[in-house]
Amino acid sequence: MRFDSYHPAINLLFFVAVLAAAVLFDHPVFLLLSYLCPFVYSIGLKGRRALVFHLLLLPLMAAYTLYYAAYNHFGITPLGSNFIGNQITAESIAYGAVRAIKAASVCMWFSCIHAVVSSDKIVYLFGRIAPRLSLYLAILLRLVPRIKTYAAKVHTAQKCIGRGLDSGSILRRCRNFFRIASIIITWTMENLIRTADSMKSRGYGLKKRRAFSIYRFDYRDRSFVLGLSFAFTVVVMGVLLDQTRTLYDPEIIINPITPLSIVFYAAYGAACLMPFFLQLAGEWRFFLSTQSRHL
Amino acid sequence: MAHFEIKDLTFSYPEAGKNALEGVSLAIRQGEYITVCGKSGSGKTTLMRHLKTVLTPHGCRTGEVLFEGRPLGEVSQREQSAKIGYVMQNPDNQIVTDKVWHELAFGLESLGTDQRTMRLRVAEMASYFGIQTWFHKNVTELSGGQKQLLNLASIMAMQPTVLILDEPTSQLDPIAAADFLNTVRKINLELGTTVILSEHRLEEVFPAADRVVVVEGGRIIAVEPPRAIGERLRELKSDMLVSLPSPVQIYYGTGSFLECPLTVREGRNWLSREMADRPLTTVSLPEEEAYREPSKPALELKEVWFRYEKELPDVLKGVSLKVEAASLHGIVGGNGTGKSTMLKSVCGVCKPYRGKVFLEGKRIEKYKAGELFENCLAMLPQDPQSLFVKKTVRADLEEMLSGRGLKKEEREEKIARLAEECAVTELLDAHPYDLSGGEQQRAALAKVLLCDPGILLLDEPTKGIDSFFKEKLARILKRLNRRGVTILMVSHDVEFCARYADAVSMFFDGGVITTNTPRRFFSQNSFYTTAANRMSRHLFPDAVTNEDVIALCRQNSADEDAIALRRQDANDEKMSALHGQNKGDI
Repeated sequence: MRFDSYHPAINLLFFVAVLAAAVLFDHPVFLLLSYLCPFVYSIGLKGRRALVFHLLLLPLMAAYTLYYAAYNHFGITPLGSNFIGNQITAESIAYGAVRAIKAASVCMWFSCIHAVVSSDKIVYLFGRIAPRLSLYLAILLRLVPRIKTYAAKVHTAQKCIGRGLDSGSILRRCRNFFRIASIIITWTMENLIRTADSMKSRGYGLKKRRAFSIYRFDYRDRSFVLGLSFAFTVVVMGVLLDQTRTLYDPEIIINPITPLSIVFYAAYGAACLMPFFLQLAGEWRFFLSTQSRHL
Repeated sequence: MAHFEIKDLTFSYPEAGKNALEGVSLAIRQGEYITVCGKSGSGKTTLMRHLKTVLTPHGCRTGEVLFEGRPLGEVSQREQSAKIGYVMQNPDNQIVTDKVWHELAFGLESLGTDQRTMRLRVAEMASYFGIQTWFHKNVTELSGGQKQLLNLASIMAMQPTVLILDEPTSQLDPIAAADFLNTVRKINLELGTTVILSEHRLEEVFPAADRVVVVEGGRIIAVEPPRAIGERLRELKSDMLVSLPSPVQIYYGTGSFLECPLTVREGRNWLSREMADRPLTTVSLPEEEAYREPSKPALELKEVWFRYEKELPDVLKGVSLKVEAASLHGIVGGNGTGKSTMLKSVCGVCKPYRGKVFLEGKRIEKYKAGELFENCLAMLPQDPQSLFVKKTVRADLEEMLSGRGLKKEEREEKIARLAEECAVTELLDAHPYDLSGGEQQRAALAKVLLCDPGILLLDEPTKGIDSFFKEKLARILKRLNRRGVTILMVSHDVEFCARYADAVSMFFDGGVITTNTPRRFFSQNSFYTTAANRMSRHLFPDAVTNEDVIALCRQNSADEDAIALRRQDANDEKMSALHGQNKGDI
């Protein structure tokens, strides 16, 4: 039901598009949409934990706005001067807020990406571009937790003979630390050799390697692409019609909101929330299906 | 045509004095199940690695290996990758990628199989091996047994015609090991895949094998069907006899003339027939003293409770245990019941939130930080490798003595003495990682003993080591006991506990259920007991070790006439069986 059941290429396409839009659009209405859409969507994905994250972002955004306004003094609307005599202007505050909102939306989109895109998908997408690199990535993803586990094991073993990181003098602890670190490097090398044996034994290095994937590109993915490209075509038309053009320096000039521009806003909002709507629709359909089963 | 044929293979590692393999010849038929056994370091691994070009070690070699009638070197890498499957010892080392599904497909990816076929093969393998439920998991989440099964499945996905397994179960617990070996047998029976397997634990493998190959000092000393291998080894006076399964050992110990049993069931029937016409005068061993709780235990746990994190369930649920001073106390129990955690709580790595631990009558919290591990307590972890931190065994041992204010001569003297005691003197200059499992275990023990512990904790000391090293280890432990060291050992190895422990406890669901002397303990159990006890309990209810059963058989031995008659019968039977076989051949 969730967006993560879609093909990784679709995930990539969507997130690249919305991230680009979130970074590029300066127009207040678009900005508002860029902020609200990931706000809503990540709550849809992660529930209350996402909301806490968003609320934590708010003071950071405010702090960034103030910081920006304190160091940039462009604009024609002075609001007063700070204690060292620099002008504080409405334009610099406004533009600081714009940048803060952009940064916050990007953060929120990334929290969505984190929930939707697994390491599998990244490995798969890499595999389409550089098959060998993607295999190395998979090996790395295997290696890092292994080293961590082994390090913990060595530490426990050393602790059990009184040579842990938490016993003895500081000098002794440091020595213990370096000892453990160096043996873990040796261990990693040793194990890589063994793993290489296993890889060779299973034909690694033969020509014509092909990457296996568990993903299928089906009708649902196709229709999503169609929907998304339609919405974004409309948004791009808006961009071409200067709908997103906004000036903050030296003066705030915003493109007026016309009935036509509402179409563009709607298209942008729809594009950004498309996975969320699909998730809701899926949940609703599932709810209906369980209902009918009881009847 | 033989599937694999090894012709007069001799091999030596560079700069090694002696040959690792010498004049090895062996022909393996299609679909055969071959078990290779021998002490560690006898050349099993070297031999098996010669069956696949990419794994063949570098060195000086004469003789040749034929695969399906062609020299192995002429078989292309692609064909070898697919047709010759090789499973190694350590389940962790062989896994390359981070996801189960990716690992399953790894070999197929290398072969460049098309997407559709790959999908089918992966699905087939996942279903055959029961991997569906963990298909999407990270490999880090799997147990050791699951990992090794995954290695096997990912090799079987390439549809090999021969499967070579080099001690595949040495790192697994008995249940996972049995499970794995059953799967190998199933593959052999259902798909006709040739299996060449080397193994320490022969109980499960013996009944499945068509032929057993015994390797000693780089030579093949015997190739026989499992029922005949004991006879051959006895003729050769080989000490490999002690590593055979219990029924076989008891059979040869009693000098019976009937057919050699391989499994507990056969052993039971054999014993019944053997004893049929003898008057059973003695059915139990001399009465033993009943187990008494020690009044002054060297180590005591009083209702210890522990959990790893606040939200997680309790691992230790009120463990109470008393260990007598200068004794070897064994703890047996299933996987994940908290045995290792209990050891960790004794040495203060896991701090219990309720209950008390006493060492020599003093609470563990009362010991000062440095005091505890000097002359008092030491633990040998499950993976002895994790104890080593230096480039040579000697450096590792010296490291233990640094900062103790000992003179150089004193240190050297001490190391030499302990190395002698643990039989690692020749290994002192080797890298700890180059040692075999048993050697690592002994070197680790030497390192731990340098703390001069009064109490020694051992976590699975017999894991992955062969019967010879087990005996060596037991001798070392007994010697320590005599010197007054108290040993608490956690083990899956029922036979080892039965034979050498002074007291055995059963651990289950975070607590000690019962403690008793090994004989009383194991003769009460009907599942969790030794093979010797299972096959003889209907006649000798309290015989627990192989020696017990053999001794009782001897005590009840029939008179000379009956033995002569029996020998006659056995010969007749053999002759008629031989005739029957010949007819069948024609």
